[in-house]
Amino acid sequence: MAIELKTIEHLCELSKLDYDEDGMKKVMGEMSDIIDLMDEIKSFDLIYDDTKDGNEIAFKDTREDVAEESFPTEKLLSNAENTDNCYVVPKVVE
Amino acid sequence: MDIKKAKIRDLRKSLDNKEISAAELCGEYFKRIEEVDSKLLSYITVTKEKALKDAENAQKIIDAGRAEALTGIPLAIKDNICIDGVRTTCASHMLENFVPPYNATVIEKLNEQGYVLLGRASMDEFAMGGSTQTSAFAKTKNPYDLERVPGGSSGGSAAAVAASLAPAALGSDTGGSIRQPSSFCGVTGIKPTYGRVSRYGLVAFASSLDQIGPICNDARDCAIILNAICGHDRHDATSARVDTPDFTEKIGQPINGLKIALPKEFYAEGIDDTVRKCVLDAAKELEKRGATLVECSMPSLKYAIPAYYLIACAEAASNLSRFDGIKYGYRGEGRTFEELIRDSRSKGFGEEVKRRILLGNYALSSGYYDAYYKKALALKQEIIRQYDKIFEQADVILTPTAPTPAYKIGEQDNDPVKMYQADICTVTVNIAKLPAISTTCGYTADKGLPIGMSIIGKRFDEQTILQVADEWEYGFVPLDVEL
Repeated sequence: MAIELKTIEHLCELSKLDYDEDGMKKVMGEMSDIIDLMDEIKSFDLIYDDTKDGNEIAFKDTREDVAEESFPTEKLLSNAENTDNCYVVPKVVE
Repeated sequence: MDIKKAKIRDLRKSLDNKEISAAELCGEYFKRIEEVDSKLLSYITVTKEKALKDAENAQKIIDAGRAEALTGIPLAIKDNICIDGVRTTCASHMLENFVPPYNATVIEKLNEQGYVLLGRASMDEFAMGGSTQTSAFAKTKNPYDLERVPGGSSGGSAAAVAASLAPAALGSDTGGSIRQPSSFCGVTGIKPTYGRVSRYGLVAFASSLDQIGPICNDARDCAIILNAICGHDRHDATSARVDTPDFTEKIGQPINGLKIALPKEFYAEGIDDTVRKCVLDAAKELEKRGATLVECSMPSLKYAIPAYYLIACAEAASNLSRFDGIKYGYRGEGRTFEELIRDSRSKGFGEEVKRRILLGNYALSSGYYDAYYKKALALKQEIIRQYDKIFEQADVILTPTAPTPAYKIGEQDNDPVKMYQADICTVTVNIAKLPAISTTCGYTADKGLPIGMSIIGKRFDEQTILQVADEWEYGFVPLDVEL
């Protein structure tokens, strides 16, 4: 199934990704082939039963809601552009 | 001291008997890394300075007579497991300068034993790939043939162990990323049951499938490392509250009466003839040693690749949405918040990672969710059901680890579909949350490339698959790496 340009553009919007014109053509071709492979699953005729899934997380086993010492702010900010103990971001409100 | 193919338990004896100090031992590995790794490219970062400090601490513990199994043992750690103060890149420009402010739980556990960090092993970017050729920094080569891939995504870990640039390493496995490179590089790697080892501090790819595990020279060493890193962790809600046995306990016990299932779909079209013959010959040998072979079927295998990629990519699209260029990671340019995020992600991620994010968002988006993602979840339930059925009549399952031996570098670069289909033998184990170990069962006659077989076990029964792998390895002579 050839995937349409507008579908790829929508996926790029959802994914917050940009491609130039050549990149867009290339990824359209690759995604069409990949979706063809994924389409094989459509011939499988069982239906998902959500009552039989997702029991790995023991929600009854959560830890006490007690405040614990957090990471030092300086250490957390060390991987980002920062000033005065805050992340620096572009101006959001004009 | 000759460190080639050195086992952890032999190094333990040498350290305890004072034949070598912890600092001298890691010095031997750094010497070998300097000699060989410019050709192999198995490490992204070599942590010599930290290693010498680690070794000094380890030596004090050894001298005090308090050494544990991994005290003073040098290890390579895949570059997606966070280590406090040590650059952790995930082989991506996105995290090129990322220095974690905390340790993964597995690292805390290794620190408790006084291990020595040799460096950060290369991998496919964000663990997405089966060749280590999507690494932004070190496209690792296969130690048996430098023109071939080492497998992936834990290709750096497997190549380093195979070439004796580390006695053992940690990797991670989302769809075969420990087992397939172990197969390609002729070493032994185990993916534990989902929940056996904490994922806290492992940079997430697909959270319902990811699991950390060891890559070693043999099954016994895998058991030693698994003993050290397993256990419930309050930082990981999916880590299991189950007993943690001694994984070395059943090693060396005979396999008399053990039932080994051979699902016919794993030996069908698409599996290289040499690989099929090699694994079936190994099955016959295990039968001679007392096991019973059981024929069985797993019809859902034909849907396994789309089911796996839909689930894994959907989770990856969600997990990787955190990379926005603000809090950490590569920061692009932009006049607005939106422009900054898009530029950071477009330039920070490589092509394969971007493809998988697009596929994940496709599967989750309105209009496609039921047709793809929910269908994949239905398949997951069916795969689990079929494994449960096989385990009613068998103790373990034996399959090839990969459809082919290591292929040439570049062979699958422009064909993502071919690359995805190559995961057919490994992905169902992650979907069903089972443990599996890959060990070498032979070599190709013409080129001497390793061939791996996988032994799959029941949930939380790592002991039995380690027992079978060890039985096979008894008397098996691995081919030397000429590097």
